[in-house]
Amino acid sequence: MSIIEAKNIYKVYNETKVPVNALNGVDLKIEEGEFTAIVGPSGSGKTTLLNILGGLDLPSKGDIFIEGTNLKDLSSRQLINFRLHNIGFVFQSYNLIPVLTAKENTEFILELQKVPKKERMQKALELLEAVGIADKVDHKPGQLSGGQQQRVAVARALASQPRFIIADEPTANLDSRSTNELLEIMAEMNRKYHSTFIFATHDQRVMDKAHRIVTIDDGKIIGDETFKGR
Amino acid sequence: MRTLIKIAWRNLWRNRRRTILTASAVVLALFLALIMRSMQFGSYEQMISAGVSQVGDLQVHDTGYQANQSIDRAFFYRKSMGKTLAGIQGITRVLPGLKTFSLSSYGKQTKGVLISGINPVLQNQQNHLSGKIIQGKYPTGDHNDVLLGDKLAEFLKMKVGDTLVLLGQGYRGITAYGIYKVSGIFHLPSLQMNSELVYMNLKAAQDFVYPYQSGLLTSLSVFLKDPAKLESKKKEIEHALDSDFEVISWKTMLSDILQTIKVDNISGQIMLLILYIIAAFGIFSTILMMTMEKRRQYAIMVSIGMERRRLVWVSIFETFIISIIGIIIGLLLASPVIYYLHFHPIPITGDMAKMYLEFNIEPVLPFSIKAHVFLSQTIIVLVLSLLSSLYPIIYLSRFNILNAFRH
Ligand SMILES: Nc1ncnc2c1ncn2[C@@H]1O[C@H](COP(=O)(O)OP(=O)(O)OP(=O)(O)O)[C@@H](O)[C@H]1O
Ligand SMILES: [Mg+2]
Repeated sequence: MSIIEAKNIYKVYNETKVPVNALNGVDLKIEEGEFTAIVGPSGSGKTTLLNILGGLDLPSKGDIFIEGTNLKDLSSRQLINFRLHNIGFVFQSYNLIPVLTAKENTEFILELQKVPKKERMQKALELLEAVGIADKVDHKPGQLSGGQQQRVAVARALASQPRFIIADEPTANLDSRSTNELLEIMAEMNRKYHSTFIFATHDQRVMDKAHRIVTIDDGKIIGDETFKGR
Repeated sequence: MRTLIKIAWRNLWRNRRRTILTASAVVLALFLALIMRSMQFGSYEQMISAGVSQVGDLQVHDTGYQANQSIDRAFFYRKSMGKTLAGIQGITRVLPGLKTFSLSSYGKQTKGVLISGINPVLQNQQNHLSGKIIQGKYPTGDHNDVLLGDKLAEFLKMKVGDTLVLLGQGYRGITAYGIYKVSGIFHLPSLQMNSELVYMNLKAAQDFVYPYQSGLLTSLSVFLKDPAKLESKKKEIEHALDSDFEVISWKTMLSDILQTIKVDNISGQIMLLILYIIAAFGIFSTILMMTMEKRRQYAIMVSIGMERRRLVWVSIFETFIISIIGIIIGLLLASPVIYYLHFHPIPITGDMAKMYLEFNIEPVLPFSIKAHVFLSQTIIVLVLSLLSSLYPIIYLSRFNILNAFRH
């Protein structure tokens, strides 16, 4: 079974006023362990698609199955809980709770999952080391660079052991060095923990690292390529 | 939960100045409210205790006397009544009293007076009447000498040793008549009492209104150990005595004082309302600002899987931390001031002082240190802060996370 199966997804914003057709019949399957980029021009519907795949928004039409669960069937509270246990998120920027340290931010999601204290600490430290900021675990987001903050966000997303991680332009605010570093880390996590990543990007360098590139335009998938060698 | 408190706490100290300012608004409001209320309740307590020390916590009368205070509603004291009252716990003192109006005259002067028949020994224990004697001496033992208020003596042009003539209506329509030697002149704080009161030995007063049978009284004033038990003791006494008697609480006898207090209290409550609206608005706007500027952060928390129900706690903790800091500092600042002023009350002068004297109250502003003053203000602040976090709570349980991301 695919991890994600999106069937004939439509999304219309402002249905009552000036309708915007953001997605026009998207079908997409994502398998475990994929490292997939969603690309396309600005306004093509990347963010809309990722929000729907991540259970942050509901499609106007069509169904999303996550390992067989139709997201439509969940109440809003069940959906929050579903996200907590199944989906990791890395947003474009300001991902972290500003008053908590890197370690506390990573532990936070484990606390939501009710993981015991000791295990939480261990796991948070392990992941922060894996993303390369072992020396900054007690720093608050304000004391970290943008790249470092994004790495903490990746660590936090991984900590919850989700079925897949959604990242909407995670490198948009990073310089090329930090972009490279973050992608390296994501790719490594993909190899090491076999975590599934789906990310939207404009960035050619990011596309170059992807194992699969899904191209979207005007709310429709117009290309889907897999690169075996990467 | 601990993490949520930690987040709330740190959120507050990220913008230290705003938090301190908001807490200061709470401190100021609570401080002013406490001082104001303590002063108000202090003067109420003073008025009431002055009144109660005169009339007693409860009075036993012949049924109907309270409504129509005529000598014809007097009753004869029976030994069994004393036994019954002695059998009730929590009564510290029972003072028999006989009051009647009469005409007084000396030389060419005449004036209506109120004769109060008292037991001089018991009365002295209750309100230290002997200390109010400015000329002559306080009578002890059984005799017919009377005490006059200084204003009355002045009006009648009498001195200690002169003889007063009293003429009035006695019990059951007889004519009451008597001649009495003035043994002393007193000065009480109340102008009215000084100009119309004549104290007489109870026995002499009884002989004056009805010489044919002893033991006539208009009231038995009952003093309680614990004034809070007023209602239950009233019921107990009512049950113990037969239905010929009514038991009246000071709240009825001093209803004019209570009315004055009620009217005064309304103005106090309006002041409080204004004070607290200002403070509540301060808390509300701070919490609202804090919530709005963290929309994005809250949206991320919900996205990664935090239930809104728990998110709401962050806002509640923020509000409570501010108000509890405000309450603690407010109490710490106000308590010493209030305690000082309780033990060193501010003296009142001028016209206000005269008004106090007319109510037979010492002209000072005592501050109340009763727990209810502190407790009620603290509870009001807590309730207000809960109310002011209501909007953020509603916002957080409804806001659209995707919209919040765009800000
Ligand atoms: N909340 C909304 N209300 C109305 N229209 C919206 C809303 N969100 C997105 N849209 C519209 O939907 C379309 C798709 O937007 P979306 O954000 O998914 O594009 P995108 O591919 O992520 O673009 P970008 O690369 O600029 O991030 C756009 O035309 C956009 O204007
Ligand atoms: Mg986008």
